[in-house]
Amino acid sequence: MNLDLSYVVIRTHARIADLLNHEQIQRLAESKDVEEFLERLSKTTYGQISNEGTEMVPVALEKAFYEKFLERILEIVDLTPHKMGDFLKIYYYLRFETLNLKRIIRGKFSGISPDENMASLVPINSYLIRSYKELTESVSVSEVVNHLKGTPYSGVASRLNLYEKYDIIWPLELALNQIFATSIFENAKALPRHDRQVIRNIVEFEADIENFLVAVKQRQGLRAEINFEEIFPVTYRISLDKLREVVETKDLKKVIESLDQKYVRVLSPIYEGDVALIRTGLRRHKYETVTSARASNEFGFNVIMAYLIYSEIEKDNLVGIAWGKAQGISPKNF
Amino acid sequence: MEMKKRIGFIERGCGFLKLKRDHLAKELSTSLEILKGRRKLLLNNLKEAYSALTAAYISLGPSEVDSQANSVKSALVLEVLPRSVMGVRYPYVKILSKPKVTADLDITLARASEKIFEILEELIQLAEFESRAERIADELGKTNRKVNALENTVIPNYKLVIKFIESKLDEESLEELVRMKRIGGALASRRK
Repeated sequence: MNLDLSYVVIRTHARIADLLNHEQIQRLAESKDVEEFLERLSKTTYGQISNEGTEMVPVALEKAFYEKFLERILEIVDLTPHKMGDFLKIYYYLRFETLNLKRIIRGKFSGISPDENMASLVPINSYLIRSYKELTESVSVSEVVNHLKGTPYSGVASRLNLYEKYDIIWPLELALNQIFATSIFENAKALPRHDRQVIRNIVEFEADIENFLVAVKQRQGLRAEINFEEIFPVTYRISLDKLREVVETKDLKKVIESLDQKYVRVLSPIYEGDVALIRTGLRRHKYETVTSARASNEFGFNVIMAYLIYSEIEKDNLVGIAWGKAQGISPKNF
Repeated sequence: MEMKKRIGFIERGCGFLKLKRDHLAKELSTSLEILKGRRKLLLNNLKEAYSALTAAYISLGPSEVDSQANSVKSALVLEVLPRSVMGVRYPYVKILSKPKVTADLDITLARASEKIFEILEELIQLAEFESRAERIADELGKTNRKVNALENTVIPNYKLVIKFIESKLDEESLEELVRMKRIGGALASRRK
């Protein structure tokens, strides 16, 4: 085993113990309001999080949870050696950077102030661009896109004409999705064979599910300006033809049942129209995949991947609970 | 004679007002039935929209939902025009432009926005219908009061006046007859 890797794995093992367990999450979800939620949270590794003087409590808490999550991934991802580290950087940093770029574009489109736009971003340092501040201070969407020229996001500029012609921003978002999906695809190919399996079961599965959800959305009317290859630049085990079938079929159930069983398990809530539950199923799938991979090898990359996935699930759960508490959703309904 | 003509006119008017009252009552009861049904439907749709929005917030987080919501371009533009039923004016709301989603919304949020857009139209129609029913009820009350006033006060008063005038005229004509007979009797006895 590589020494660098073993160091990171040992550090990761220690950090897994810091994550909240199921009972703790359950107790947090059962809090009667935000105050009780914060009080219970203060007794965990998160410590005291103050919401005083904050108007938008759920947004402030979301930011705090993101910061904790990013702190965790920074500690691990930057230390992970070689191609694995490169892949994780793409998987996390590029993902959050494309998300931030979309938020900047939307902010410019709606005309919110640079400060508000900056505050809406995932609190991460810029990865492939110079600075977010420069972009948020641009005067228009076109200027933001022009700033991206000369970076790996320069492909977005090719869609600027659609934005200028129709006053729509989804072609720009689609271009960002394509850049992210293609980078993941290229970097996953470079991974060592024994590590590729766990990545495949998580990243590829996730991409397939997201592609499927996008295809379901397209059922309401495929946009004439784009073609299938543009919407789905990378597909894995749900092929482009299958996605086309999803868009065109009258019987979605039949298409889902023709997929692999693990896809059926995650996608079946769509029969009742519950698309949000698909994401919950996806998280469960990722959790189960990394847990079983970790059980099979306690000293490899699987442990790192498991920790990162657990951390992200924890962050998502806490964001959801905090929002629910701020909205006064009862523990029972939650 | 003038009074009789007038009471005939008032009675005809009262008949028309009664017809209007019955028509308005019928219109109001139908409106209330529809309103009840629409309100129930809207409440159900509101619940669905709220639960879709909750799902989107829990799935994406508040910052992402807020950011995606920023992509909604152009506000809802309405024009309020007057319409009339049985002379009752009520506002008719015309939707000139609806908000437009210009970004690639996540499916959970796309579902929520779809439901909210549906409700928006229903909500406006319901408000229009409620205002219509309210104004019909108001007019019905006014018409009812007019009919009651005509039936119970104005027409009976007119009838009393007419009766008084008639009896007065009868009395006067009887007096005149007696007077004429007496004069006739006196003239006849003088001739003898």
